[in-house]
Amino acid sequence: MEQLKFIGKRLVYLVIMLLGVATLVFILTKMIPGDPTVANLSQRALSDPEIVAAYRARYGLDKPYIVQYFLYIRNLLQLDLGTSIRTNNPVLQELMRCYPATIELALFAIIIAALLGILFGVISAIRRNSILDQIVRAISVTGVSIPSFWFALLMLYFFYYKLHIFPGPGRLSNSFSAPATVTGMYVIDSLLEGNPAKALDALSHLFLPALVLAMFTMGLITRTTRSNLLDVMSTDYIRTAKAKGLGRAKLILRHALGNALIPVLTVIGLGLGNLLGGMVLVETIFNWPGVGQFAYESVMSADYPSIIGVALLIALNYMVINTIVDILYGLIDPRVRCK
Amino acid sequence: MKKKLLAAVLCLAMALTTVACGSSNTTDSTESSADQTTGDTASSGESGSNTVVVAMGSGFSTLDPGYVYEKYPPLVINACYENLFKFYTNDGAPEPCLADTYEFSEDGLTLTVNLKQDVTFASGNPMTSADVAFSINRCKNLQGNPSFICDTIESIETPDDYTVVFHLTQQDSAILSKLTYSSLAVLDSEVVKANGGTDAEDASTTDTAQDYLNTTSAGSGMYVMTSYIPDQEVVLEKNPNYWGEATNVDKYILQIQPDSNTQMMTLSTGDIDIAMNMTDDTMAELEGQENVALINAPTKTVGFVMMNMNEEYGGPVSDPQVQLAIRKALNYENFKTICGEGTTTPYSIIQVGFMGSKGEKAADYTNVEEAKQILADAGYPDGFDIDMTVTDLDMEGVPLTDLAQLIKSDLAQIGINVNIVSEPWAAGYGDAYRDGTLGFTVMYWATDYNDPNVQLEFLPGKTVGLRAGWTEEMDPELSALYDEAMAATDNDARIAVLEQIQDDTYENGPFIMVAQAPAHIAYNTRLEGVTNSDPYSLDLTLINIVE
Repeated sequence: MEQLKFIGKRLVYLVIMLLGVATLVFILTKMIPGDPTVANLSQRALSDPEIVAAYRARYGLDKPYIVQYFLYIRNLLQLDLGTSIRTNNPVLQELMRCYPATIELALFAIIIAALLGILFGVISAIRRNSILDQIVRAISVTGVSIPSFWFALLMLYFFYYKLHIFPGPGRLSNSFSAPATVTGMYVIDSLLEGNPAKALDALSHLFLPALVLAMFTMGLITRTTRSNLLDVMSTDYIRTAKAKGLGRAKLILRHALGNALIPVLTVIGLGLGNLLGGMVLVETIFNWPGVGQFAYESVMSADYPSIIGVALLIALNYMVINTIVDILYGLIDPRVRCK
Repeated sequence: MKKKLLAAVLCLAMALTTVACGSSNTTDSTESSADQTTGDTASSGESGSNTVVVAMGSGFSTLDPGYVYEKYPPLVINACYENLFKFYTNDGAPEPCLADTYEFSEDGLTLTVNLKQDVTFASGNPMTSADVAFSINRCKNLQGNPSFICDTIESIETPDDYTVVFHLTQQDSAILSKLTYSSLAVLDSEVVKANGGTDAEDASTTDTAQDYLNTTSAGSGMYVMTSYIPDQEVVLEKNPNYWGEATNVDKYILQIQPDSNTQMMTLSTGDIDIAMNMTDDTMAELEGQENVALINAPTKTVGFVMMNMNEEYGGPVSDPQVQLAIRKALNYENFKTICGEGTTTPYSIIQVGFMGSKGEKAADYTNVEEAKQILADAGYPDGFDIDMTVTDLDMEGVPLTDLAQLIKSDLAQIGINVNIVSEPWAAGYGDAYRDGTLGFTVMYWATDYNDPNVQLEFLPGKTVGLRAGWTEEMDPELSALYDEAMAATDNDARIAVLEQIQDDTYENGPFIMVAQAPAHIAYNTRLEGVTNSDPYSLDLTLINIVE
């Protein structure tokens, strides 16, 4: 019952927050300089008042801002995010088209980042100040500081262009057609289609961009895991466990790591939220048609409905992820459950 | 916990192994899968495949001919639809395509076109004059970006199934070129109407065919659109009902690859066949590579300096003598260097490649000492300070700010101190440019349709001329040449008047054409017929695979 109450409360907050975000982004998009008519009509068309008037009427830009706002909120409550000025398609349809590509990439990236980050963090902590620790710290610092677009080009240049180890940009090789859309995630949809070769091809296309995206979050996870594990290892209960003669591996894995992982979960959650917002440069280099590219194109076209749609999606990402992280806290730390 | 950690590490190792194996065996596995799975075809970019993969720098906001206006949609439209007339060569004149013969009335106000009688659409429907009238009226009434192209068409008559009569509002020597434009492609009206299309006067609010035409083609072209994933790829396959002679390419995959480095790598590895958006650097990387050919050719997109004739906005640059000094001071060779191989500077306001063009500007035109003297004679012996407003656009990949930097450095030599002021296109610059309130700027002009008459807009009193405060009264003789050029439907007469216009604007007026941007295209030598195309970006209907 308590759990249901908690979830119910969260949902109400979620709706209020989303309306708040929608309002804020609506005001901001109207305040910043930029006219969709100028951004999308040609120089010749702009010289023709009839064409300009027809364009403004088509996208409701001829109405006062306040009317535009209430129409937008009314439509939003009916899950209608409006029509993209750039593509003339419903924004929801556009987001549903590009979001699965981002989710697929982000999930794969966060899995790599979490697995490697925690592993490196543990190694670094238990071999503190050793050569191994120095190497791991160097990798994590590099991961945090390396510009992603440069790393992306480097990875593509060596592993695709020079060494031919990984496939090139895009989500699938040219020999495959896109799988029938069920989830929009090519690996899963290819498997559902009963085509493991296509799924494997999609998976292999994921690897390089995911590794590039994982680098930054992996660096953060490594550093957070290391410092937290070192903190936990110096606590009284660990000393007691040591004194009782508990083995090193059991001590770390059973008693220390669980507690050290709580802040790491936050980092993973934030990292995933960040990745789900789309990464313009990496998506551009790897020819990945995700939310980042869509957001970039929308901003360049002053496509207000799409910009607000992307902002709402990002806000929703963080809210959902934070809720999941809160629940996971409870699973990892019994004290949180008791509270 | 130990077991869980071990399992996680094993899973990661498995994933890495799987991915690495998957990629190294990609060719084998995909080929076998292609045999097993319907819809997956033989890999492109491989010798012997009849599929050609083309990489383009950006996607499309629409593929509905009635609305298309961007750079790449004509590439698709030209492959899937046909027009009454077509440019079969880049620098040639429009030639009949769906038209069989045509004739202008003596007063030049009526154009009668007789249609070919054996043309069918991909649907199997025959192409008739009703389809032509529907398509052009629809474009006009949609009130979209390209509707202006129908401005001189007053009405269309269809006396029989194979005759179309255009009544014009004024003499228009560019009408044949306009009829080649993708927006005036002939649609299968029966199919389009069945999917919400209309050519009625209120089409801008009642036509609902755009969604349909964004994903499906309804033309008589060599190809049909079979798949479109926005911002990702378009697939074209041969039209089984094509009435003409087709090339040997069965299928095109048009991929969106925004980054030129990515295009260079994918072309080099054979994953694509044509890279449309190369740069000087990426072209250099491919130089000498086996199986790769390179094209560096000037496009008709031209960068120009604009100096407002209205003193209120232009200040010192509104003075014709100062304009001449600036013209003489600019080092045009530097513009060619910065824009890359293939760049050219036109003699005057008409680009190299257009009918009647007087070619390139002389290489020794620049004369800094003469420029200094002219500036001194104009009353500015010590030069002056001036703001140059620049927007955030680029000309075929060359940022306008780069051109502004060159101008600044060239003009510093004659004492003009240029202060570059940046202003986003959609946030002020666009309005000021259109309203004619920019004093001194560098901008670019991409041709609306492939005809020298588009350049007539630079004349006094016309669209671009007015943006520079250049009114008809300031140069009535030059203004009169506009009407003469519009009326000259005979090619010899057209060339004569166009040459006159170029001479008259050579050292006169508020515009200095600095560079025609180049197209850098690289392609696999298994193809022939790949050329830069100003009207279509790339004419897919001319490409063959070398047997």
